[in-house]
Amino acid sequence: MDRRTVLKGLAGAGGLALSGGLSAPAIAQGAAARTLRFVPQANLANFDPIWGTQYVVRNAAALVWDTLYGVDSSLQPQRQMVESEQVSDDGTIWTFKLRSGLKFHDGEPVLSKDVVASLTRWSARDPMGLMLKALQQEFTAVDDRTFKWVLKQPFPKMLYALGKGNSPCAFIMPERIAQTDPFKQISEYIGSGPMKFAKSEWVPGAKAVFEKFADYAPRQEKSSWLAGGKQILVDRVEWVIMPDPATAAAALQNGEIDWWENPIADLVPVLKKNKNISVDIGDPLGNIGSFRMNFLYPPFNDVRARRAVLMALNQEDYMRALVGDDNSLWKPLPGFFTPDTPLYTEVGGEVLKGKRDLDAAKKLLAESGYSGQPVTCLVAQDQPITKAMGDVTADLLKQLGMNVDFVATDWGTVGSRRAAKTPPGQGGWNMFHTWHAGADCINPAPYTAIRANGDKAWFGWPTSAGTEKEVTSWFEAKSIDEEKAAIGRLNKAALDDVVYAPTGFFLGYTAWRKNISGIEKGPLPFFWGVSKSA
Amino acid sequence: MLSYILRRIVSTLPVMAIVALFVFSLLYIAPGDPAVVIAGDQASPEDVERIRQSLGLDRPFLIQFGSWVWRILHGDLGTSIFTNLPVSTMIGQRLGPTLSLMMVTLFLTIVIAVPLGVVAAWKAGSFIDRAIMAFAVFGFSLPVFVVGYVLAYIFALELEWLPVQGYTPLTEGVWPWLQNLILPAVALGCVYIALIARITRATMLEVLQQDYIRTARAKGLGQGGILFVHALKNAAVPIVTVIGIGIALLIGGAVVTESVFAIPGLGRLTIDAILRRDYPVIQGIVLLFSFVYVLVNLMIDVVYTIVDPRIRY
Repeated sequence: MDRRTVLKGLAGAGGLALSGGLSAPAIAQGAAARTLRFVPQANLANFDPIWGTQYVVRNAAALVWDTLYGVDSSLQPQRQMVESEQVSDDGTIWTFKLRSGLKFHDGEPVLSKDVVASLTRWSARDPMGLMLKALQQEFTAVDDRTFKWVLKQPFPKMLYALGKGNSPCAFIMPERIAQTDPFKQISEYIGSGPMKFAKSEWVPGAKAVFEKFADYAPRQEKSSWLAGGKQILVDRVEWVIMPDPATAAAALQNGEIDWWENPIADLVPVLKKNKNISVDIGDPLGNIGSFRMNFLYPPFNDVRARRAVLMALNQEDYMRALVGDDNSLWKPLPGFFTPDTPLYTEVGGEVLKGKRDLDAAKKLLAESGYSGQPVTCLVAQDQPITKAMGDVTADLLKQLGMNVDFVATDWGTVGSRRAAKTPPGQGGWNMFHTWHAGADCINPAPYTAIRANGDKAWFGWPTSAGTEKEVTSWFEAKSIDEEKAAIGRLNKAALDDVVYAPTGFFLGYTAWRKNISGIEKGPLPFFWGVSKSA
Repeated sequence: MLSYILRRIVSTLPVMAIVALFVFSLLYIAPGDPAVVIAGDQASPEDVERIRQSLGLDRPFLIQFGSWVWRILHGDLGTSIFTNLPVSTMIGQRLGPTLSLMMVTLFLTIVIAVPLGVVAAWKAGSFIDRAIMAFAVFGFSLPVFVVGYVLAYIFALELEWLPVQGYTPLTEGVWPWLQNLILPAVALGCVYIALIARITRATMLEVLQQDYIRTARAKGLGQGGILFVHALKNAAVPIVTVIGIGIALLIGGAVVTESVFAIPGLGRLTIDAILRRDYPVIQGIVLLFSFVYVLVNLMIDVVYTIVDPRIRY
């Protein structure tokens, strides 16, 4: 046997093996066309949307569990599982009727008792649910399809609370599952949504599989975000977890995956050059970058120090660090509410507009009594967003003459350390960075970060009576004009007291193969209406 | 020999106990809190505290450690804080891909590195020797992820011969299984090929200067027989040692490789568990890894007696 014979043999064997392995038979190709392979933003590490409120859990849960109402792309709640509702003249008695023919994935019908148990569990964890619970006088199943909620006083945002897409959503589960302690995880994943969760195929950290639920009864209206007819046009949706963005980009280019939820900005130019790939803004509601200052300790317990930082802050610096030169991916944000949504306002936002006045900021900082004590700034290095913003903040504080104690750490550590109320030198902190989904910042209901009720507020524990007063005003508002007026005052009060520092509004892309159609822009990936051709 | 093996297995118990205590203590004092991750970004401090209580993370160190040890003694590695799945199930799901990757890598490493080292020693000082050693330096110097990306670019994106990522179980066919492993195994194997080739060369150079090799040549034995029968067998002990160390190191290398090629193995499970502070999973994996290390050492000791009959225990 000579060298040429060996090479020919190897080439033949290789070709045979490749042709057998890479070109799948026709049946397999058909199956592939009915399977949508999707790379989500994060690992689906648990699957209880009430117990664990991460966005990725909410996104997966929206396939498996349905809600009574669902918000559409105009942010209005529309009927989903509900056929009709009635509210008493005084606004305290709500009576709902379920659609007929609703079934859970185990074949059991959806009954009012399931709804009551589900909403009871949800209301123990959700901020709006907690408000409802506080107002609740009676919550009962009247018959199999009718349930009644009697409140002590009107709650005008009832339908929004039941249909909002913010985590935790008011998902409906069978009563036996919904009776689980809301602080303990469920282990059965039975819903009445358009897809079933294939628990046996779930490999946390690697794969999650959803199968079309044949008995799902979609509404007749056209789908719009979480509302309307959720028509599933594929048999299976496979979530493939890919921690490495470069791998996800290569897999998308190679046709091994169909849709990548959030490609990083650095790789978008490569994807845009590929003729088989479409790239577009994924979520028009985007994100709001932020850093929070600790109201409990100097220097940021003095509003002048917080205002000084806000006066010097240049949002463009932050946004450029995040998205580079792509101007379509960011906007300045002189306030706290998501741009291009009904309640967006710039009232009181002058402090974030125009040329930055570093000298005035330094003067104000000096007036606050700051005298060079270390400012402990927590920056998670494993999150590109916080890392980029942290670097800009460190530079900003140094320009202001502050003594920065830059704590480069991971997100898990930031997550626990930010809860510490001890002084910064004893395990506490002065400042940490994060970001908020724009969908959570459209109004005060899901917007934990805007609350300023001191000890009960989110990390940093801001106190701002003016802000809290206007949050209440919004909840009590009976018209959109009243809501807008309340939000304008809220924005000003929160900026005056610097509840937190908004660093700008930014968007992200999503990317998919061109044989995929029906992808709708929105705050979460919607799989209904999405189809795949061979 | 049997009693030696039994003694060695029994001696792993205190080692693993020390590892267990060390890992548990380290996780206890490490910053981070799984309750925070579970609760999500919008959760209130009260919610986080209630989750912490429900997970038993608010209990004193000794009670937590004691209950964990008690479960381990009953063969229960516990339940993942996040997935609510038994740790043994999660490890079982990930064992296949990691074992496959290690087997293919090890096979490639031995098949490539040992002949390269032997040839380099045989042609010491020649162009071939220099070329092989230059490759070895190259292999040492390149990080696994760089090799991985380059291989994926060439063989998956440009040539479209192999997939970029994923894992197919062996039950679905040898080629589907192998095609997902070739690129990661080559990427992961580079550094070990370099290491073992160098060790083989160094050991062979020493052996080739021994009198019995000169005698074999004088007897007129062929070069292949001298190199691979007489010399390599006598050079085998250090090579086997390095291969054994390599197996242990492969576990570490698999962490990066599995991330780059999206292989759902133990390496990725480890990283995910650490980032989320999923303590039972971290503890289970570390126990498993420490057991594997001990087992590999034992196997090497046994192999010594096969390649060198003078060694007895």
